[in-house]
Formats: sequence, structure tokens, C-alpha cells
Amino acid sequence: MSVVTEVSQDGQKLTISIKGRFDFAKHQEFRESYEHLIPKPESFEVDLKDATYLDSSALGMLLLLRDHAGGENAEITLTNANADVRKILAISNFEQIFDVA
Amino acid sequence: MDDPHLNRDVLVALQEVMEDEYPMLLDTFLADSEERLSVLRQQTDARQLMETAHSFKGSSSNMGAVRLADLCHELEHRAKEYSPPDLQKLIREIDLEFAVVRPLYEAERERALFEKATVRRF
Amino acid sequence: MTAVQTPFEALTVLIAEDSAADRLLLSTIVRRQGHDVLTAANGAEAVEVFRQQRPQLVLMDAMMPVMDGFEAAQQIKALAGETLVPIIFLTSLTESEGLARCLEAGGDDFLAKPYNQVILAAKIKAMDRLRRLQATVLQQRDQIARHHNYLLNEQRVAKAVFDKVAHSGCLNAPNIRYLQSPYALFNGDLLLAAFTPAGDMHVLLGDFTGHGLPAAVGAMPLAEVFYGMTAKGYGLSETLREMNAKLKRILPVDMFCCATLLCLSFQRRSVEVWNGGMPDGYLHNIASDERTPLTARHLPLGVLSPETFDDRTEVFPMAVGDRVFLLSDGVIDTCDASEQLFGVERLHQVFAANRQPEELFEEIEQALRDFRGEARDDVSMVEVSLLDATQMSPPTLVYSDSGQSCPLDWSVSFEFRAASLKRFNPLPYLLQLLLEVHGLRAQSGALYSVLAELYSNALEHGVLGLDSNLKRDASGFARYYQERNARLDALHSGYVRVHLEVVPTGEGGCLSIRVEDSGKGFDIARVMERPAENVRLSGRGVNLVQQLGRNASWSDNGRSARVEFFWDALA
Repeated sequence: MSVVTEVSQDGQKLTISIKGRFDFAKHQEFRESYEHLIPKPESFEVDLKDATYLDSSALGMLLLLRDHAGGENAEITLTNANADVRKILAISNFEQIFDVA
Repeated sequence: MDDPHLNRDVLVALQEVMEDEYPMLLDTFLADSEERLSVLRQQTDARQLMETAHSFKGSSSNMGAVRLADLCHELEHRAKEYSPPDLQKLIREIDLEFAVVRPLYEAERERALFEKATVRRF
Repeated sequence: MTAVQTPFEALTVLIAEDSAADRLLLSTIVRRQGHDVLTAANGAEAVEVFRQQRPQLVLMDAMMPVMDGFEAAQQIKALAGETLVPIIFLTSLTESEGLARCLEAGGDDFLAKPYNQVILAAKIKAMDRLRRLQATVLQQRDQIARHHNYLLNEQRVAKAVFDKVAHSGCLNAPNIRYLQSPYALFNGDLLLAAFTPAGDMHVLLGDFTGHGLPAAVGAMPLAEVFYGMTAKGYGLSETLREMNAKLKRILPVDMFCCATLLCLSFQRRSVEVWNGGMPDGYLHNIASDERTPLTARHLPLGVLSPETFDDRTEVFPMAVGDRVFLLSDGVIDTCDASEQLFGVERLHQVFAANRQPEELFEEIEQALRDFRGEARDDVSMVEVSLLDATQMSPPTLVYSDSGQSCPLDWSVSFEFRAASLKRFNPLPYLLQLLLEVHGLRAQSGALYSVLAELYSNALEHGVLGLDSNLKRDASGFARYYQERNARLDALHSGYVRVHLEVVPTGEGGCLSIRVEDSGKGFDIARVMERPAENVRLSGRGVNLVQQLGRNASWSDNGRSARVEFFWDALA
């Protein structure tokens, strides 16, 4: 499985780990990883440690997550991005709307 | 009863398949075989012997003439190796074998025709 | 679970066998199994019967006179083409060599003599399944091909509609050079260019997420906003706000448009830049041969809500001959056989090696071809040069009314205070108002330039108190505009007043424009004394106003500027 999820003990935080290429092929898996959780977690982390590559459809998927998580008020952190992924996040200026750790 | 020349089970199956055309099948086979034999007797070239023997083998085996099929098989595969005298000997054997099975097929044909006539009566 | 039985379907079977008895036997067996039978006594006959009757399955004796089974099989397979016609070889060939020959000749299976009915029936059934499977595959393939052509046609139609809506603007102006695939639209690439009424040029290079129709569909509303607002005289910031709001509203959450927007001013010799998510553009200073990267500072369009959208632009000075070069990420992302990216470094190498600016495009294309091994057709590049203002001839505006009923004797005054000054550009409205006067239309470019100059002077030097001397050099330029944005954000008092008066004079008429500001003013006499300089990064625009309008004058210690425009009777 290339999209692995983990919910914290109190159900308040969801961590989604992406392995391999973060592209359109992961669309459905990614959505399903957070869409139906009840109650909805308060904060989200997308762990990109094993993500090798990020394309514009991945950026779109992050926007969908952000929309689900409350839009402007969403608490989402992107963690452990490698240099290539960081560069893509930088060019698109997604660091302005996501916490990149 | 194991007949080394003619496999009776094959004949039974053939009749079952052919039904009314069974006699015609037997006739066709006999006519074909005569033709092939005359080609073999001429003993022209190895290639023709091979092909004719092959063909004869095929139909003999279909018709249950097991020994005839075996002899043809031998001829097919040895046509190039055997010396003319040996070939001649083998062809003669085939000739003789056919002479044995021929009346058996003819008898079979008669029996089938009679059966058909008899059955019709009722 | 019960197995699904395929219903029995009678086939037409061709039996090619030279031995009459065997042929008779086999025909009977096959007929009894419910199929129709055709016969042939040799290979040539078999091919001919196949050609004329097209049976669905062939039982082929290997050794036949005239033409043997192998040759016949090959010819029949050739005649059958894409359709699968199974060929079962009838053979008493036991050596594997013989069997291999059957396969090579196109045979699909064997049946040994003596014929076994049960085995034959099973083989026919299996071959028939294969035959029908192949037929289904071909049918589905044809269906897919039909649908594909249908979609291609839809795209063609969409593209035609788009081309009408998003006419190519002024991409063919003498100072623009561009490269775009004809299917760029369906890769989400968009290139737009248009003149403003003042003769400035707006250029947009965009890249929608996704491919195909979803990407193309977003381009249409974007192009309408771009062309509409540019033609009315709106600046980059307002146009960007509208484009972002529109895309945010109509596109699904996960779709957005990366874009770089430029406003090139030939009169002011500057370029205003906004880059949201696109790769670096490059401003090439010909004199120093330096390239300044124009980096993305913003999120792509359609991501942020109107409240959080950042429309701040950067401004750079340009000299005549300087160029701005923009490219889509198709260039950087080009891969070679081992999945290595072309990357930014290689692009910089091409820049460094370039001697003739006119050849830059070819050199980049060649470098991509060399790297990838073949040409790519989805890269977009555009290069915009600053030519002298006199070399640019923007097209005349087209009007939709007859001009018969136009206002000829009127005046109007506006006062724009701090809150409006911050977020509102009144120039398009003022211009639209003035263009109601038919006689002024021929001078719309000059009108807009003068209005824009007077307004920006009143706002920047008057109300905001910015010193035009800051724009002396390139770094000062940048600081000036940063300072402008900062002061504007902090503004809470002040005003700019605009008075317009139109009166008839004989057959024609006169427009007088007066612009006043609440600032400190300036020393008029000193500014008038300065000799007109040809190459200058900035000024009070005094020269411009004097050249384009008539009877320009300043009063109230420089806080009030007045200028007139005249027109004669129309022919």
C-alpha cells in the first residue's frame, strides 16, 4: 500500500504517509484515507519521507485535503519532504498555505 | 478377440459415425488404397514413396487396419535408407497385408448393407 | 457457483485432406457435431475455398499435393488478416520437428490420426472460444477507436470555440516571439497578449493543472477576463484579482492555473511582473548580458479566496532591446531515456552559450532534442522585447455604437479618498466615460496615457509622498514600488480629485482634465527647467503630458495639473 494512515489515540490527528510517486495514480487512495473518518480529526500531517516525486495532481490532492479540513482554518503539516519535493512546494508557493516542516 | 490385421472396435465406431454412409466410406478407402498401392509398386523416387506411404498410413489407421498402418509407417521412415531390394520387399509386404484386409472390408460392407435392408423391413 | 455454458454455435468448417476416405470420415464426424462442412483435396483448393467462402475454422492435412498444408495455412492466415481463423493440423507427424513446423506455419493445434471424435469436438470447441475472444477484442478495439475519434472531434470543436473567444490578441506584435504546440491548449498551456488603451502590453503565460478538456475549459473564462479588462485599461493587479476570483469560483478545488503575468510599458520603460507557481522567467539586460530571474512569489490562480489573494507585483526597469523570457515547465521537465530531468542548470548553460538573442529559441529546442533524443511538442516559450514606443502601433479600438447620440456638453467631478485609493482604479471607468464622446475616440491612447500619468503622479508623488528620484537605478526601482505598496496599505487620509469637462467648439469640441491631490506639491519651475532626457527611468511625466495633450499647466504649487484635448468636426 502506498498510502498509509495512522490516527492518534484520541482521534484528533491523522497522519498520512505517502510512499513512492505522489501523482494521479494515488488519487483515490489518498481521498479515501481521510474522507470518511468520523469524527473528523482536528489536525492532519502528510509525511513525505518516502515520497520520491510530487506533481501538480498531488498539489491538487493537497488542496482537496485542505478543503476537507476546513479551508483557510485547516491545520495541515507537510513533513520530511526531500529536496526535489521541497523545490516543487517552493515554486508553487504552497508553503504559504501549508506548514512545511 | 484380438485381430492383428483389423481393429474391430474401430469399425464399430466408424459405423456408428457414418451410419448410412458406412459402406461408401469402406468403398472409398478401398479405391484410394488401390491407387496408392499402384504408386508404391512403381517405386519411383524416395520422396514419392514417403508421401504415399504417409498418406496410406493415415487412412489405414483411421480405418483400423493396424498392421497395414505399421508397415506404411516403416516405409515412410525408411524410404531414404533402404536399398532397392529391401524397399521392394517392404512394398510386397504391404501389398500382401492389403490383400488380407481387403476381403475383410468387403465382407464388412456386405454385412452393413444387409443390416440396412433387414432393418427396413420392419 | 455453476459454470456458465457458452451456447452452441454452428460453425462453417473447412476440411482440407487429400485422402478421400479420411476426408469423408472427418466431414461426417464434423457434420454430426452440428457444423457446416466445406472440403478441399489439396492446399491450393483449400486457399481458394477459403477466399470465397470464408469458413471460421480449418482442419488442414499437413501433407497434400499441389500445395502442402503449411503453405496453405500461411496463405489462409494472410487472407484472414486480423480475424482469428483457427487452423487445426491433421497429422500423423510424430516427430517434434514436424509439429514445430505446424506451429511456425500458423497452426493453432493438432489432431492426430486415427481421428478421435471426442478429442476433435473438444479441440473445435476450444478453438472456437479463442476465435470468439479475438472477435470481441477487435470489436472493442474498434469501439474504442470510434469513441476516441469522437473525443478528438469534440476537442477540435472546443478548440475552435476557444480560438474565437480567446482570439490571439496581439501575439503577432513585432516585439513578441513565441513557440507553442497547436495542442498546447489541451496540455493546459495558455498564452495571451493584448494592448491596453494606453499602449502598454499585457502578456500571460499560464499552465492549467490536468490535461484535455478539463484543462482547456478553464482557459476560456480566464481569457475573457484578461482581454476584457486589459482592453478597458485595468492594471495587472485588478485583472489578477478578477482572474483568481473567477477561477476559484468555477474550478473544482483541486484545479488551479499557474501563471506569469507581465505588463510591459514602452513609455515608462518598465515591466511589471506577477508569477504564481510558474518556473522562473528571465529579464535579459542586453547591455550587461545579465539575466534576472523572475521567481514565483505567489500561489497559482484559483487557490486562494479573494480575501487572501495577493496581487502585489514587482516592477523592473528595462532599456530598449531588453527582453523578458518566459517558459512553461515542459522545458525543465523534459526527460531523457534514463528519466533524468533537463533541469534548470542545463537551461542556464544554453543561456550562457547563446551569442545571438534571436537564436535563443532554436538553441533551446535543439538542446531539448539532443537531450531527449526526439522533439517535444508541448513546451511553451515566449519572449517579449521592449521596443521604442514609436515602433509600437497598437490597433485602434473598435466601437459598437454609431456615435450619433453622444454627450457633447457636460462636466463631472470625482473625489477618491484613502479607502478608494487603496483598492480601486478609477481609470477604466473614466476612460469609458470619455469614450462616449465620439470625437475623442481617435485619441483614446493618448487620453488614457495622460490620465494614467496624472493620476499615478497625484497618487504616488502627491498623496503617498514618494520621491521619483528613487527610480534612478534598478535597485531603487524595486525599492520604490515596495515603498509604494507599503504606504498605500497604511494610507488612511488624503484624496485625488478628477474633474472632466467637455464643451463644444464650433464643429468639434474640447475636453479639459484637471487632477488635484492632497499632497505637498513640487517646485514646478525647477522641473520645467530640466532638459528633456531621452533615456530616463522616470520622471514626473511632465514631458509626456505636454507631448500628448495641449496646454498642459500646473498650479497650486504643483498639486493641480490641467491639460486639454481637442477634436475637429468628424468627416
